[in-house]
Amino acid sequence: MTPLVELKGISKSFVGVKVLDHVDFDVRPGEVHALLGENGAGKSTLIKIIAGVHAADEGEIRIGGEAMKFANPGQAVKAGIAIVYQELLLFPELSVAENIFLNHAPRTGWGGLDWAEMRRKARALLDDLDSHHLDVDAKVGSLSVANRQRIEIAKALSQNARVVIMDEPTASLAEADVQQLMTIIRRLRDRGVGIVYVSHKLPEIFALADRVTVLRDGHYVGTKDIKDVTERSLVAMMVGRSIDQLFPKEDAPIGAVLLELRGVSQGKTVRDVSFTLRAGEILGIAGLVGSGRTETALTIFGITPATAGTILIDGKPVQITSPQQARDLGIAYVPEDRGLQGLVRPQTIAENISLTVLKKLARGFIVDRGKEDSLARDFIKRLGIRARGPGQAARQLSGGNQQKVVLAKWLAAEPRILIMDEPTRGIDVGAKSEIHALMSKLAQNGLAILMISSELPEVLGMSDRVLVMNGGRIVAEIARKDATPETVGAAMTLVQEREAAA
Amino acid sequence: MSAAWKSLLLRHETILGGLLVITLIVLAFQSDRFFTADNLLNQGRLMAEVGLVALAMTFVIVTGGIDLSVGSILGLVAILLGVFWQKLGLPLPLAMVLGIVVGGVAGLVNGLIITRFGVPPLIATLATLALYRGLAEGISQARSVRGYPDWFFMLGQGEFLGVPVQLWIFGLCAIIAAVILGLSTFGRATYAIGSNAVAARFSGLSVDRSLLLIYTASGLIAGLAAVIFVSRVSTTRSDMGTGLELDVITAVVLGGTSIFGGRGTIIGTLLGLGLMQALKNGLALAGVKGDGTIVVIGAVLIGTILISNIFRKDADG
Repeated sequence: MTPLVELKGISKSFVGVKVLDHVDFDVRPGEVHALLGENGAGKSTLIKIIAGVHAADEGEIRIGGEAMKFANPGQAVKAGIAIVYQELLLFPELSVAENIFLNHAPRTGWGGLDWAEMRRKARALLDDLDSHHLDVDAKVGSLSVANRQRIEIAKALSQNARVVIMDEPTASLAEADVQQLMTIIRRLRDRGVGIVYVSHKLPEIFALADRVTVLRDGHYVGTKDIKDVTERSLVAMMVGRSIDQLFPKEDAPIGAVLLELRGVSQGKTVRDVSFTLRAGEILGIAGLVGSGRTETALTIFGITPATAGTILIDGKPVQITSPQQARDLGIAYVPEDRGLQGLVRPQTIAENISLTVLKKLARGFIVDRGKEDSLARDFIKRLGIRARGPGQAARQLSGGNQQKVVLAKWLAAEPRILIMDEPTRGIDVGAKSEIHALMSKLAQNGLAILMISSELPEVLGMSDRVLVMNGGRIVAEIARKDATPETVGAAMTLVQEREAAA
Repeated sequence: MSAAWKSLLLRHETILGGLLVITLIVLAFQSDRFFTADNLLNQGRLMAEVGLVALAMTFVIVTGGIDLSVGSILGLVAILLGVFWQKLGLPLPLAMVLGIVVGGVAGLVNGLIITRFGVPPLIATLATLALYRGLAEGISQARSVRGYPDWFFMLGQGEFLGVPVQLWIFGLCAIIAAVILGLSTFGRATYAIGSNAVAARFSGLSVDRSLLLIYTASGLIAGLAAVIFVSRVSTTRSDMGTGLELDVITAVVLGGTSIFGGRGTIIGTLLGLGLMQALKNGLALAGVKGDGTIVVIGAVLIGTILISNIFRKDADG
């Protein structure tokens, strides 16, 4: 059978960094081909090359057996390739039908838009996707994420797509919506559409995929039939080594309680949260996106101050209503969204690191540039930040080095309590293990670390204790020795059932 | 700042400096009255009010904001100066101080609307532009105030060591502003806020407090400019400062401050001011009509921004 899309020896570099190195990939009619790899493995770049967003530096692309070169995404669409991006690219103020037929709306003989035809076709497409409940005249902005995703899929089908690429489609879906999405995907497959399914959620891949291709650090690791792999072997392909090596949490002497929350609430997102955090300890918080993990961190850090309950530091109750207060109490927060919350990207490494300690670095009110520079040099050495020097702009660094700059900024403030929200999101495997090693070292030096992570292996590997959150509450506390994917996962699902029953 | 970033800033200012020198030379040849100490000092006198306001505006625009209400604040303070002194019978020095304070309050109100209610600066100050001007006109009832004592004219018409008094004030303020923006912790926070306000807040900087201070300073300095204005023209009218904000913003942007925030210097603003004033005066002396001058200034603004963008793309590469 001729593949719908076939890529051979694709390479791509961005500003001198090779993100794809001779990668092969193909999609056959009527199959779901999963594309798997860690963050930064090159998945996004690969699908953008298929969709004509980026042009490959090397290698060839064949569509239905014919060599092709896309100059822009429009040509890929014409060739029958549609992509459903993670951040759905719809127009909230336009109707469902308008969104589906944007750019290729049916026309009347006069050249005007044929609204009746457009609505009729939109209806038919949605019915085809088992979405009879969706109103073609509704504004897209009023719909849920799951429904918007269906509109994206309908849009792809309206362009006669033979290949549909889905980029982490379940990242922000609830469990029930995930099941429905899978039904829709299977239906497309049965009609002969080739589906590229990008995800790092292994259970979904086993439930859906016919074949799986694994990328690691831009290299092609291999393509396998799903029946020939296990979860363990896939992980080994993804990371290229076993998990134990990846998370080198070393034993640290556990000291006194530094931070304690007693019945802390914040609106409806954080409900009655209580826990303690000790010096030298890494406390992991697991849970789904929206379970209240980040919200709890933001409450401790004073961005969204607590509306009820008590926060104690060294056993003394404190009021934290701003990040300044949190910083002065010895709390640091390395945020989830590095680009938005962590870094001032146009500014230099030195200027970023000194942000938390400007007052301390100043003589009078004038910033001491000499001190600022040597502070930055210290951290570049200590954390192994790969940069030309303190004067390099933060935006020019790789994800892992940017994360180290954010970490350096907070270590400069000499905190006693360090909150790390998704500490290794979007950074490559090497930098990841460096950050993990740093966290171990910091804990050994007596820092109390609260780590929020969506990656279960990270939570299990790094944490001394694991808290599981759901619906704004802490629903389980599991000691390191008892924490396995099963126990932590079970704690999550158990709660969901209870919530559903309630 | 990285070497590349720095050289790029220098570049904009170098381009501007070069342009200013060329303009001065060309204009000097166009009219023998242009390049004389008398004329240049007089131009400095005329430039001081716009210049003062432009110093604060540089901070405002570096934070990614804008203050359209400065011209109206100037008008309002000018009127109140007359009212406080003539109608309420307050001593003139007190009336001057009160007037400037009112300017500060007007700026504070801008800041509060922007930080507390999250109204975009463009909208907030567009509203207060109308509001403050309306107040000024309502209070003045279209009557002007004259007859200020002679000592008061020292500020706007006098000289100290042969240099107009307001140029001394402007120079002092410019040095203070340059030190604060370029070297101080507050200046650093200002750039951080303009580049990424969320990250600034997450780094423990008091973003709202900084913005309040900057908008208040903008109002205060517009008040100071009002007092100098009244002293220079010897009279108070409610339409004073109409359109001032556009001259001010032109000078700041011409000086290389990014309207998106995060980039800009006081030196650049000074060069922008100088170039604008030189063109206005030189072209007038060379016999070019007023509307012709505006066209030239517009063209220079676009030209400078384009050139500096080309260099920036190269540096970004």
